[in-house]
Amino acid sequence: MSDYILGIKELDNAIGGIKKGSNIMLIGPPMSGKEVILYYIMYQGVKNDNAIITVTTRESATHILEWFKEHELDMPLSRVGMVDCVTKTFVGTVVESENIKIASSPVDLTGIGVKISQFLEEYFMKKNIRKVQLHINSLSTILMYSNIQTVFRFLHVFTGRIKAMGAMGIYVIESGMHDEQAIATLKQLLDGVIEIKSEDDKNFIRIVGLSTKPTPWFEYEIEGANVRIVGRK
Amino acid sequence: MIKTGIPKLDEFLDGGIPKGKSLVYYMQPGVEGEVFGMQTIYSALKDGGNCVLVASSTIPDITRGQFKEFGWDINQFNNKFISVDAYNPLIGAPSKEKYIVSNPDNIEEFSRIIVDIIKQLPPSTIVFGSLSTIMDLCGERKVIEAVRIWNKMAMLYDHVMVYNFTAWPYSQETLDLMKGELFNAVISIGGIVERVIFGQYFEILKSDWTKEIKRSMLFRVLRPGGIKLYIPKILVTGPFDSGKSTFVHALSTRAISVDRLGTTIALDHGHVDYKGFSADIFGTPGQERFDPIIRLLSGESMGVFLVIDSTNPSDFTRAKQMLKITMSYGLPYVIIANKQDLDGALTPEEVREQFDLPEDVPIIPAVAKDKIGVYEAFEVLIDSVTGGI
Repeated sequence: MSDYILGIKELDNAIGGIKKGSNIMLIGPPMSGKEVILYYIMYQGVKNDNAIITVTTRESATHILEWFKEHELDMPLSRVGMVDCVTKTFVGTVVESENIKIASSPVDLTGIGVKISQFLEEYFMKKNIRKVQLHINSLSTILMYSNIQTVFRFLHVFTGRIKAMGAMGIYVIESGMHDEQAIATLKQLLDGVIEIKSEDDKNFIRIVGLSTKPTPWFEYEIEGANVRIVGRK
Repeated sequence: MIKTGIPKLDEFLDGGIPKGKSLVYYMQPGVEGEVFGMQTIYSALKDGGNCVLVASSTIPDITRGQFKEFGWDINQFNNKFISVDAYNPLIGAPSKEKYIVSNPDNIEEFSRIIVDIIKQLPPSTIVFGSLSTIMDLCGERKVIEAVRIWNKMAMLYDHVMVYNFTAWPYSQETLDLMKGELFNAVISIGGIVERVIFGQYFEILKSDWTKEIKRSMLFRVLRPGGIKLYIPKILVTGPFDSGKSTFVHALSTRAISVDRLGTTIALDHGHVDYKGFSADIFGTPGQERFDPIIRLLSGESMGVFLVIDSTNPSDFTRAKQMLKITMSYGLPYVIIANKQDLDGALTPEEVREQFDLPEDVPIIPAVAKDKIGVYEAFEVLIDSVTGGI
């Protein structure tokens, strides 16, 4: 039985859905459309009555929400929580809102952790939502400021909480930015990997670790806010 | 003596932190604990003291903004408040602070600046915004050695040292030292954990200048306002005639019940103060038609006692049903196997079997009318609520 889906039909079918408590790495090269894929998963989650918590270290929370608006995708603010680690560093004092919490910097893992916990409490306890997704976009930025042990400890705490709650976690990594060993270290805490690669101007995606064997590579295209599978390798 | 400014904590610490002493706010990850160090700074400044904030995880200006969010105007103390910038150099940004750690990942340099401050400034309250960040950058052992030196120096120069520390999964040795010998006082700040954190408490784990130490309080963080204590609700539920009211009255220092014809029809209410922990207790009626009340009260409670009549297994189905209502809110619970003094009472083990409960659910044998087992049950619930830290 599947507790969560990505919303990309071919991939969901290939792995038969995602069990609750799963922690997944989303890894791919720059400019491959990772961001849109993550937003797509967010939107599909929201459509399935999930609550989504996104930790954003690159784009401001308002920017992301505007992206959805531009693509005419309705994101209910009562179920979409953002932990913004960008805005304060550049703008200084900003006011938090119902669905945007501001962490003071990407180094402030304590603060980021507090904000994540507050959203988890709100969705799980107060709003009684049992399907919650946590997206961290991206671990790569956090790794630029903190060393691998520090990030490992942080992730250790939150992957554990995701498991205990039966939620789903997705953690974005930029491929080619970190050494293999760092990625292998983080993978110890995770159940599966969504891999993205680019070859000859084509983009491919597959999932490893969430089914008995890796899925085949699917070629995909991004049109606006849509992720479309166009073929198999 | 400087006051921490945290309600009740100063009282528990016999007035505050004496000069020359060190204190750590030992925080579970995910719990809003950094405000403790900030509230202590504000309290010390308000009392006319000098303060130093060592900022390692964010720009000193942002920290100043955070004071404002809490409604604490620290600008008025400008000449008494100094920030040490150990953040900007990390991200390669310029700093306008007087004290700058230009290589925050170099503990020798860090230590040199802290020691300078200790030697140069008049007796102050020196607060580390995030000791864990320094540990992440410089390594656990090196930082522990540095802290030993800082605390020793502070003792000689009459400073008060205060550290915010997030207890990420560091080595057990490090965590034991942090909770043990490294500081004169340890205030543990934790969350009530049942899948998610939904309440926060602080507790004195250690204080070498006070007599009694085992004290805990629940708190909330308000903006503006800072740390405010609050009295939690505990729910007592169970089938008809299982002894809920008796249990509430046995546990409470004062209690009332709304009765008709000898059974509770609305609710029991009591208040308990036990070993420094206080709570309001609500007992629900047992009859099914009052189930909405259980739902209503569950949403705001932090733990549940399910009272059952150990001589009456035929009611267990009903008890299970009531438990289910409260469990949907993810609350920690303890089963009270009441009426153990009567013939035919099932033992806790037999209750567990009949109830089909997992091994880790506590079942406490009790005779509520003689107050047997009630305080034990309270302690067990508080422990499971606070995660037993």
